[in-house]
Amino acid sequence: MIIHDIVIVGGGLAGLMAAVEAAPGADVAVVSKIYPTRSHSGAAQGGFNSAMSHDDSVESHIFDTVKGSDYLGDQDAIEILCSDGPEVIRQLEMMGVPWSRTPDGRVAQRSLGGAGFPRACYAADFAGHVVLHTLYEQALKAGVRIYPEWYLIDLLVENEMLAGLLTWRLDTGQTEVIRCKSLILATGGYGRIFQKTTNGHANTGDGMALAYRAGAVLADMEFVQFHPTTLYGTNILISEAARGEGGYLRNSSGERFMSGYAPQKMELAPRDVVSRSIFQEIKEGRGINGVYIHLDLTHLGPEKIAGRLPQVQELARRYAAVDPAAAPVPIEPAQHYSMGGIRTSLDGETNIRGLLAAGEAANVSVHGANRLGGNSLLETVVFGRRAGRKAAEIVSGTDLPAPPQASLESARERWQANFGSSRPLAGGDSCFVIRRELNRIMTGKVGVFRTGSEVAEAVTDLAELRRRYEALRVSTREAPFNYELTEHLEVGYLLDLSRLTAEAALRRTESRGAHFRLDYPARDDVNWLNHTLIKKGDQGPVYEAGKVSAGRYLPQERGY
Amino acid sequence: MKATLSISRFNPITDCAGYLKDYQLTLEPHETVLDALFKAWELDPGLSFRRSCRSSICGSCAMAIQGRPRLACQTLASELTGEGGAIVLGPLPGFRRIKDLVVDLDPFFEALKGVIPWLLTRPDHNGLVDPQEAHRVESPATCILCAICDAGIDPGGGVSPAALVKNTRLAMDPRDVLGADRLKFTGLTGDGLKSFRELLAGICPKKIELPGPAPE
Repeated sequence: MIIHDIVIVGGGLAGLMAAVEAAPGADVAVVSKIYPTRSHSGAAQGGFNSAMSHDDSVESHIFDTVKGSDYLGDQDAIEILCSDGPEVIRQLEMMGVPWSRTPDGRVAQRSLGGAGFPRACYAADFAGHVVLHTLYEQALKAGVRIYPEWYLIDLLVENEMLAGLLTWRLDTGQTEVIRCKSLILATGGYGRIFQKTTNGHANTGDGMALAYRAGAVLADMEFVQFHPTTLYGTNILISEAARGEGGYLRNSSGERFMSGYAPQKMELAPRDVVSRSIFQEIKEGRGINGVYIHLDLTHLGPEKIAGRLPQVQELARRYAAVDPAAAPVPIEPAQHYSMGGIRTSLDGETNIRGLLAAGEAANVSVHGANRLGGNSLLETVVFGRRAGRKAAEIVSGTDLPAPPQASLESARERWQANFGSSRPLAGGDSCFVIRRELNRIMTGKVGVFRTGSEVAEAVTDLAELRRRYEALRVSTREAPFNYELTEHLEVGYLLDLSRLTAEAALRRTESRGAHFRLDYPARDDVNWLNHTLIKKGDQGPVYEAGKVSAGRYLPQERGY
Repeated sequence: MKATLSISRFNPITDCAGYLKDYQLTLEPHETVLDALFKAWELDPGLSFRRSCRSSICGSCAMAIQGRPRLACQTLASELTGEGGAIVLGPLPGFRRIKDLVVDLDPFFEALKGVIPWLLTRPDHNGLVDPQEAHRVESPATCILCAICDAGIDPGGGVSPAALVKNTRLAMDPRDVLGADRLKFTGLTGDGLKSFRELLAGICPKKIELPGPAPE
C-alpha cells in the first residue's frame, strides 16, 4: 500500500502545473500512463492566450472568450481564466519557458482565431512542448514523485468521499493501491472516439470515464471541437498559428472562400465556423479532388515559415510530402478537443469530496460550446494551478481517509472480470474491430454536421457494440507491457464516452458552437442556454440542465 | 505495397533470448513504421511497443530500425523497403530490454539529474530576454527526450547525451544564474563538446544544433 497526500493522475500541462503548485506544502505524486514528457500537451503548437500588450485588455479577452463559447461558457470561470493569464505567464517566464521574443525582449504574441488582438504567447510553433518540458523540470526540482507508465484502473470512493485509487503498473503487470487525501484528474480528452482526430493514441478519456463510473458529474459532452486544419489523411495537427501568421484557405478554384462565411475574421474566425465552412465547400463540390481544401502559406515566404512555423513545415514535409513554402498543403477538419468533461467548481472540485479535475479532462467551463485557439493551454496552467492550490488546502490538517474496503473489493472484482476467454458474439470480433466500428460511427454520424435520425442510429449502434464488447476478455494477465489489456480497458472508456457524447448530442435540439444540428440549425437561448449535466443512474446516464453562470455579457448574435 | 516487418521479440516470462518474428503486411505509401507496427499488433496482440503522439513530438517510439536508433513514427516505411528487404525492428540499443521493443527508460530519465536539469533563475530577472539570445535556445529546447542520442552516442565525460543537451540549453539561457559555469558539469573539454555536437547532429530526430560557446 502506497500513501501520498495528493495524487495527480496525468502528467501533461494541467497535471504538472497542479503538482508544482501543491508540492511545497504536501507530499505529491503524479501517476501517468505514459512518461509525463510524452503527454499530448506537448503536441500543442499555437500559444497561450493572455492579454499583456498595452493595447489589449483582460476585458477584451473575456468578451472574445464568451462570444467564442457561443455564450455557454461560465463567465465567472472565464473571468478567472483571463485575469490570471498575465500572472501565470510571468510565473512560467520565471520557471524558464523559452518563449519567442519581441525586439524589446518581451514574450512574443500572435493572433489566433476569434481573438480581437494578437494575444497568444508563443515559442515558434512549439508552445505546448516547451512549457510541458519546463514544468517537468520544475516537478523534478520540487521533488514530485512520478509513477510513469502506471495506469489508473479505478477511483476508490467510499461514502461519496475519495479514499484512493487502484492502479496497474505496465512494467510488472501488477496492481497497486494508492491511498491519498486528495486526487486530481488531469487525464486530458477523449478524441480517440473519432476516426479522424489530431489526438495521440493515449487520448482515450480514461479519467473522465472512470470519474463518471464512480459517480462524478460530467458536463457538455456533445461539444466536441473539430480543428479546421489537419493534414489530409493522417489528421496530424497543423497549428492555427499557420493562419495566425497569415495563411489562407483556398478551395478548388483557388478562392479564399472564408469571405463568404466570415467576411471580417476570414481564416481567423473561430474553429467551429471555419470547420463548417470547409465541409460546406467540399459538400458543394469545391473541394480539391472533391475531398480536401488547401492551406496556402506560400506567400509568407520561406524565412517566415522556417522562423515562426518550423514544426508545421517539418510535419507537412514529412507526413504530406509538401513543403508549405513551395506549395499549398492539403488539409481537412478533424476532432481536436473536448469542451465537455468532469464538472468542477472554480477550484477544480467535483461533486465527490477529495476528487478534483483540471485541464481538458475538466469542464469548469471556460470554453462553453466552442473553445478559442490559445485558451486551452491557458486553461491547463490557470486551472491546474488552482486545483493544485485547493488540493494542498484540503490535505493540510486533515487525516487520511479510512483505508478503502467495499470500493476496493468491487474494483478488484471489476479488474478480474477483464480476464478469461472471450465468447465473441460476432465471428472475428476483437477490441480492434470494435474500436474501428466505434470510430466510424462517431466520425460518420456524430461529427461536424449532425441530424437527429443519424445520431439516434449512432446511439443504437453503440449499444450493440457495447454488447459485443462485454463478451470479450483478455487472455493474459500480470504480463509486462500488456498492451492487449490497455486496448481492452481503453475501448471500454471510449464506448462509455461515445455513448454520452451521442446521447447528449441527440438531446440538444439546437445548434450552438461546435454542436450543429442540421434539423435544428438555430441557437435556442430560451430552451438551451444551459449546460448538459450527466450523472450515472441505475438505468444508465441521467441528463439534466445546469445553470450557466452569466455575467456582463448577454447572448447576442454571433457574427464574425 | 507489400512489406515484411521483422520484429525482435522477447517475453521475459517465457523466453531465454530475443528472436525475430516476421509479419507480412500491406502498407500504404505514406505510412510510417509506427503504422506498420499497429498492423502487426492486430495480427499479434501480445506485441509490445510504446507510442503516443504519432507526429514526432512525444519521443515514445524510439527503437532500432534497420539497426539504427530512430523514431518509428518519423520513419516512412517506403524509405526502407526500396531494396525489397524486410524492415527490421529491435529495441533501442544500450538499454535493458523489458519486453519486445520496450526498454527500461528509468536510467535515461535518472541520468538527466546528472546536471541540474532546471533553470536556476536569476533573482533580478526582469522578464525581458534579448531576442537573439532567446533564438539560440530555440533548437536545443525542441529536445523530446526520446533517448536516441543516449542509445547512439557516448560523449565520454560521464554525463549522458540528453543531459548534455539539457545542460547546454540551460547554460545558454541568460536567465540562468550559473550560465556558462554549467559547462563544468559536462566533464568534457572544448574539443569533446565540439565532437559531441557533430555526433548529435547526425543522429537527433529533431535535428538539434548545439551552438558553440558564446563569443567572449
